[in-house]
Amino acid sequence: MADPEPYPPIDPTNFDLIVIGTGLPESIIAAAASTAGKSVLHLDPNPHYGSHFSSLTLQDLVSYLNIQSINPQKSNTEASDRTIALDVTTRPIYSDIEICSYDNSVKDHSRKFNLDLAGPRVLFCADLAVDLLLRSSANQYVEFKNIDASYVCDENGDLMNVPDSKSAVFKDRTLKYSEKNQLNSFFKLVQGHLEAVKSVDIGSDDGKMISEEDLESPFVVFLDKMKLPPKIKSIILYAIAMVDYDQDAGESCKDILRTRDGIDRLALYHSSVGRFPNALGALIYPIYGQGELPQAFCRRAAVKGCLYVLRMPVISVLLNKDSGNYNGVKLVSGQEITSNKLVINPSFTITSSPSEPLQDVYKVFNVGTVTGKLARGICITKSSLKPDASSCLVIYPPRSLYPEQATSIRVLQLSSNLAVCPSGMFVFYISVVCDDALEGKKSLHAAIDNLFSRHTSSPTDSGSTDQTESAKVKPTLLWSALYIQDLIEGLMGPAVMTPTPDGNLNYNDLLHATSKLFQKLYPDDEFFPKTSYTDSSDQFEDDSEVGVESYISSRLGGTGDGGDTVDVHHGVWTASMWL
Amino acid sequence: MATNGHNNLNAKLVLLGDMGAGKSSLVLRFVKGQFLEFQESTIGAAFFSQTLAVNDATVKFEIWDTAGQERYHSLAPMYYRGAAAAIIVYDITSADSFTRAKKWVQELQKQGNPNMVMALAGNKADLEEKRKVTADEARVYADENGLFFMETSAKTAANVNDIFHEIAKRLPRAQPTQNPAGMVLVDRPAEGARAASCSYGFQNLGTLYSV
Repeated sequence: MADPEPYPPIDPTNFDLIVIGTGLPESIIAAAASTAGKSVLHLDPNPHYGSHFSSLTLQDLVSYLNIQSINPQKSNTEASDRTIALDVTTRPIYSDIEICSYDNSVKDHSRKFNLDLAGPRVLFCADLAVDLLLRSSANQYVEFKNIDASYVCDENGDLMNVPDSKSAVFKDRTLKYSEKNQLNSFFKLVQGHLEAVKSVDIGSDDGKMISEEDLESPFVVFLDKMKLPPKIKSIILYAIAMVDYDQDAGESCKDILRTRDGIDRLALYHSSVGRFPNALGALIYPIYGQGELPQAFCRRAAVKGCLYVLRMPVISVLLNKDSGNYNGVKLVSGQEITSNKLVINPSFTITSSPSEPLQDVYKVFNVGTVTGKLARGICITKSSLKPDASSCLVIYPPRSLYPEQATSIRVLQLSSNLAVCPSGMFVFYISVVCDDALEGKKSLHAAIDNLFSRHTSSPTDSGSTDQTESAKVKPTLLWSALYIQDLIEGLMGPAVMTPTPDGNLNYNDLLHATSKLFQKLYPDDEFFPKTSYTDSSDQFEDDSEVGVESYISSRLGGTGDGGDTVDVHHGVWTASMWL
Repeated sequence: MATNGHNNLNAKLVLLGDMGAGKSSLVLRFVKGQFLEFQESTIGAAFFSQTLAVNDATVKFEIWDTAGQERYHSLAPMYYRGAAAAIIVYDITSADSFTRAKKWVQELQKQGNPNMVMALAGNKADLEEKRKVTADEARVYADENGLFFMETSAKTAANVNDIFHEIAKRLPRAQPTQNPAGMVLVDRPAEGARAASCSYGFQNLGTLYSV
């Protein structure tokens, strides 16, 4: 909404915590701190919530990518007598942006898109994000739908269904009888192990556990030991455990998954299947896009008293001249706001101005180094990959598309039934971890060529190799955006820096990092106390302090409103994940 | 979005308007029959519900409050999503709040569902002696912009139930859902924490696909 005052004065001017940026980690910290009774000011220079975790219209997405890839001009700020001002500048985290439009009908509907900046992303029904939504009571603001199916690309370039449960294995038509038996007995072994681990916790041991030696060994070695054929191994490693790097590459593999972690990931996947009785698969996606999640946590924070100001750039961080300690921030309006703590997202850097060379301070305000790169792609089509699935996940394991493909490429197809695009269109998100832009783009293009046919009136050379495979009738690519995103990890300092979106499908690693940052920030406060988690009526009363019980019961029991309310069992798995 | 089932409608209703116009007071009067002379700025309340019987159906309003995010014009799009109705509230003793109300109407027209039922509430109607906005002026504006208009008083309860009833009557009945309904994740301690441990691992797998 257009404001007559572009930068309204903020009142009050002192807070326990100032948070800059409304990405998911910042929003969760704001909500957790507000819940713990801190006074919080949450600022974002953008006109929208979500920072790098936003879902945007097509036009807004393109301009955001472009703005966030430009090195900004330095602003020189003046400090008052008692403080030293360090410049806050935006750091470009996107690069190598390629936008291709083959059909104007896409741009004409720009506003009907909610495109994720950090796609592909899904939630596993038993993962930390779901847990956190429930613990914080932010769950009531977001609705989800199931992802219909998962496919994995086999050695022939064909997509085969991922059989992720006993019954799915049973029903699968592509697996041989012997393969089904192998997969089932492997699942049984893992199940036995998990039960044994559990019973050890209560003091008995039925000896079904996988040996400690095996648990420490690479998961791929363990799968070989279990004599699983390559096809099954590939499904388990890349489509269920969602591993990035080629596990068969031996010593040269950057990230070998240990059996212990592999089994944890299987457990997460399988406790996700069936966590909500009326959600069929393991994976869910929020209606209107992933950008709803930061909004939900911000709303939760607001309910707990957090003050929200969008479109409010911070130009400098103020330090006490004598002690050098963090003191507050200066807004673009010139107003100075003080706080005890500062959380800032990694699209900003804090630098000392040339006039005040503060090497020491500069060192303390570590800006967060780029630890890796991700190639991301967004593609739009008018048809679905598979006629019977409106939303699906596709995994291209390492080496499945071309011999040098070092990492898994993951693709998520979504349809208009998730309100992310106009009806009749489909959105595909593609991502791959990469060492450099060239390699990343190569992987994206390989996946795009495998998934789509180029538009007939394409301005670029239409891939002649696609013509031979036209019998398969691939969706025609109408629009695409490819870009490289820097990976920056969260870190603790005088200012807490939150992490950028990572390359994972779910938010588990990010949320782990976020809860750790919160604990370091407020060691004496609990990260969303669990009280509301065990008693759902509390949860609703908590939200409306006036307590409208009739509403609570009717909402919980509400059926026939088209929106299914799903139950979730409080699983041991999810509880223990926080330990 | 108003969703229909056996003559029972569920409708999300959002409140908009300046800080201090009386949004929360209107809801509290409607939902709880209460009025607090010095209602604090909205903190802690964000969600209310009330069911109304109208001629042919019952309407359950799911009322969303701004949670204070309107203060610096930072309402999330989430707030408007799927809203079937909106009440834009201004304070009849503040010309500014009426000007701001018009801005909120524009914002809604931009963001919201075209079939949304919009009501303009001139609140604090009990403060006649301090009136700055005439009823005629507001009525003309409302007519021109497809809103219906009432002057209300959360303090005396005047027209409070009426404005919600009028919205309930005006909600389209067999409205096709514009956007898909999904599932809300709800944590229910079902059979207690111990029983829940069976969702650990693989034990549920046998029954999953028969759901």
